[in-house]
Amino acid sequence: MNSANLAARVRKAHRGDTAPSFLLDLNVEVLPGITILFGPSGAGKSTLLDCIAGLTQPDAGRIAIDSEVVFDSEKQVNVPPQRRQIAYVFQSLALFPHMTVEANVGYGLLDAPRQARGRVAEILQMFRVETLRARKPREISGGEKQRVALARSLVTLPRVLLLDEPLSGLDAELKASIIDDLRAWNAARKIPILYVTHSREEVDALGERVIALEHGKIVSEGTPREVLDAPRRRRLAQAAGFENLLSATVVDLREPDGVMRVRLAGSLCEIEVPLGRAAPDDHLRIAIRAGDILLATEPPRALSARNVLEGKIVSLERRGTLIAARVDCGAIFTVHVTPGAERTLELAAGKKVWLVLKTHSCHFVEG
Amino acid sequence: MNFEALLLSIRLALCVSAILFVVGVPLAYWLAYSRWRWKFLLEAVVALPLVLPPTVLGFYMLLAMGPRGPLGRLWHAAFGHGLAFTFAGLVIASVLYSFPFAVQPLIVSFETVDRKLLDASAVLGAGRIRTFRRVILPLSVPGIITALVLSFAHTLGEFGVVLMVGGNLAGVTRTVSIDIYDRVQSLDYLAANRAAFLLLVISFAVLSVVYGINRQAGRRQWLPWAAK
Amino acid sequence: MDFVRPSSRCLLLLSCLLAFRSANAQEIRVAAAADLKFALDELDTQFEKQTGRRINVSYGSSGNFFAQIQNGAPFDVLLSADIEYPQKLEAADLAEPGTLYEYAVGRIVVWMPADARGDLARLGWKALLEPGVERIAIANPEHAPYGRAAVAALRNAGIYEQVRRRLVYGDNIAQAAQFVASGNAQAGILALSLAVSPPMREGKRWEVPTNMHPPIEQGAVILKSAKDKKGAHAFLAFLKSDAARKTLESYGFTLPAPVGASARSQ
Repeated sequence: MNSANLAARVRKAHRGDTAPSFLLDLNVEVLPGITILFGPSGAGKSTLLDCIAGLTQPDAGRIAIDSEVVFDSEKQVNVPPQRRQIAYVFQSLALFPHMTVEANVGYGLLDAPRQARGRVAEILQMFRVETLRARKPREISGGEKQRVALARSLVTLPRVLLLDEPLSGLDAELKASIIDDLRAWNAARKIPILYVTHSREEVDALGERVIALEHGKIVSEGTPREVLDAPRRRRLAQAAGFENLLSATVVDLREPDGVMRVRLAGSLCEIEVPLGRAAPDDHLRIAIRAGDILLATEPPRALSARNVLEGKIVSLERRGTLIAARVDCGAIFTVHVTPGAERTLELAAGKKVWLVLKTHSCHFVEG
Repeated sequence: MNFEALLLSIRLALCVSAILFVVGVPLAYWLAYSRWRWKFLLEAVVALPLVLPPTVLGFYMLLAMGPRGPLGRLWHAAFGHGLAFTFAGLVIASVLYSFPFAVQPLIVSFETVDRKLLDASAVLGAGRIRTFRRVILPLSVPGIITALVLSFAHTLGEFGVVLMVGGNLAGVTRTVSIDIYDRVQSLDYLAANRAAFLLLVISFAVLSVVYGINRQAGRRQWLPWAAK
Repeated sequence: MDFVRPSSRCLLLLSCLLAFRSANAQEIRVAAAADLKFALDELDTQFEKQTGRRINVSYGSSGNFFAQIQNGAPFDVLLSADIEYPQKLEAADLAEPGTLYEYAVGRIVVWMPADARGDLARLGWKALLEPGVERIAIANPEHAPYGRAAVAALRNAGIYEQVRRRLVYGDNIAQAAQFVASGNAQAGILALSLAVSPPMREGKRWEVPTNMHPPIEQGAVILKSAKDKKGAHAFLAFLKSDAARKTLESYGFTLPAPVGASARSQ
């Protein structure tokens, strides 16, 4: 069994054409299993994968798979991508358009032609595309293309698998099915798999280890819950689905209670948030999920929640299966309620409402 | 009807196209994928025959093929006789003259191959040669055909360069274009018209067949002058 | 300019246009055979000194010019290397009647570069049979008079069959000269007028006896389509003058007896 760790220490100046340039500077260890590389576009995720695969050369650093060094800037080691035994599935999949599915999948096995047929047949079956073997890429669907791309990479028995947003554009069910097949394959092989995505659902679905990347640096590492539910950076917060990002100033700290009071910018509203490393008059930003806020049409009483804010509904908008209400309490909040609640409470623009926020639903974010 | 001249022209065009393919493909590959900062100078040199008048090129070729010129000296050392006024001399001069017509379509076609496919090929373990044979080449077939056809057609119609270095020897360097010119100068307009018409018909037939085949492959053509 | 009457304005415009036209029409357009290159340059200088007018010359092969003139090429005078072409033009009514003039008789020489081995003056024709003479350049006999003369002379000398395979053909006599001068041909049968010109005069030459080939009669004619008939006539008159004839002689041309004068011996 190939059970190996991937250790990568990379520094590379990145001159992006759409995003501003940044310095990719990080040190990461990827254990066997699926590790998710999460972050907004332009954070350097694809560049990191390119460095690991050997398609780009870092300015400095060291990349090793267990004990074998594939790149070391000090020792002048740079193994070409052909020999790294690292599989890489690009976002565009890069299936060879002029070859059949079978030829595509067998491409990496050209050195061992006799075994190739058998191994290709086996993996086509494992990824459930064996009926497509004689078709060309333009004749198969998106989901099938993704399976073929995975099969092509994995048939070579790589030591590491890199996936760059491999499931974008597919529906949830298809994604889940492909992910299951991938897990099944890795249950036997146990190689490090680095999975890049900017989709929160995929992070939740894959649920293993997450590394959050922003502007070329790692900002957070841990379980999906840890990384996504307590974002420290604004952009990560936006990516992770915090609809409310409010500026606030610290009023005072209450250490025995583990909280601090902050005043929301542009209003007299004050709320209690968990204690953080701040001092009175410091400026910070508070992130709150729209789904974490309760709405009442009568002043609530005797609640455990410490923050009750009076306000007026500014607008109501249907977004798929929920209603997004914008409420002005001095600061504007976005609150999600169900259509049933909207009906029962007879919500409408202009109605006076009370918002309830739990202290621990308020996360503070830097930047 | 002077078939000898016509056959000579066709032979010349075939030789030149074959040589341009063999020499042009590696050069085009290098120019398409190299990141050398002075690459643009070499590209300009390759394009020079497009702007040089053929008689100018022919004249300098004549000097180069002379006993004091670099080509002439090499040839004489190797073969014991001069290079001018020979079929080989025509081939060499024509190769130079048709150079950009072969190389530029090849460069364009290599460059338009999706880079991600080349990356995928590398990651899957294929070296440069295998990637070229199995990915770049098959996806460049329209460009290769264009290069071959243009070299062939351009050489078939060549006049100025042949006039300068050919010496007008029947069966050796008297190509059909020279022959037609001779007929005109001798006031034999009837023969000139006949030869010109035959040349036109054959050229048109060849070009139509090739473009027809290429069209069936389901791919589009482009003009080398639109590149870069 | 409304104080000037409309008709006067028209006249002003017209005179401007005419003035502009005459300014451009100073140069007389001449189509000349390639062997006249150096001789004609000198004649041009003399002509300008004498009359203040200049000629604008295009050099090429006489056969080519003939075809172009038939199709309306805008020349005033044709100086052909072969009198046959002006004669044909006259017959086709493309020439001014009565202007046909044989201005020179050309001569051919065997020419080799100065550093060639062998004493050409002593060997004469035999020089062409020497080993080391791989290529002999002549003008294309199919349409160039100098080429025809060269072939006739070779036949007369009895060596045509021997040298035939080594002949290379220049499109015109100037190109034949180019072949030899560049070293690609080791010898050539060229026009004397080119052999005595500055770039070639250092080479070795042997004058082919005139009785070995039909005379190369070079004829001039004024074209009917000439825009500058006056200028053309002036130039032709100059060509017939003693000064011009002397110049042509210095370039190796022999001259037919002037019309109306007593014959001169050559």
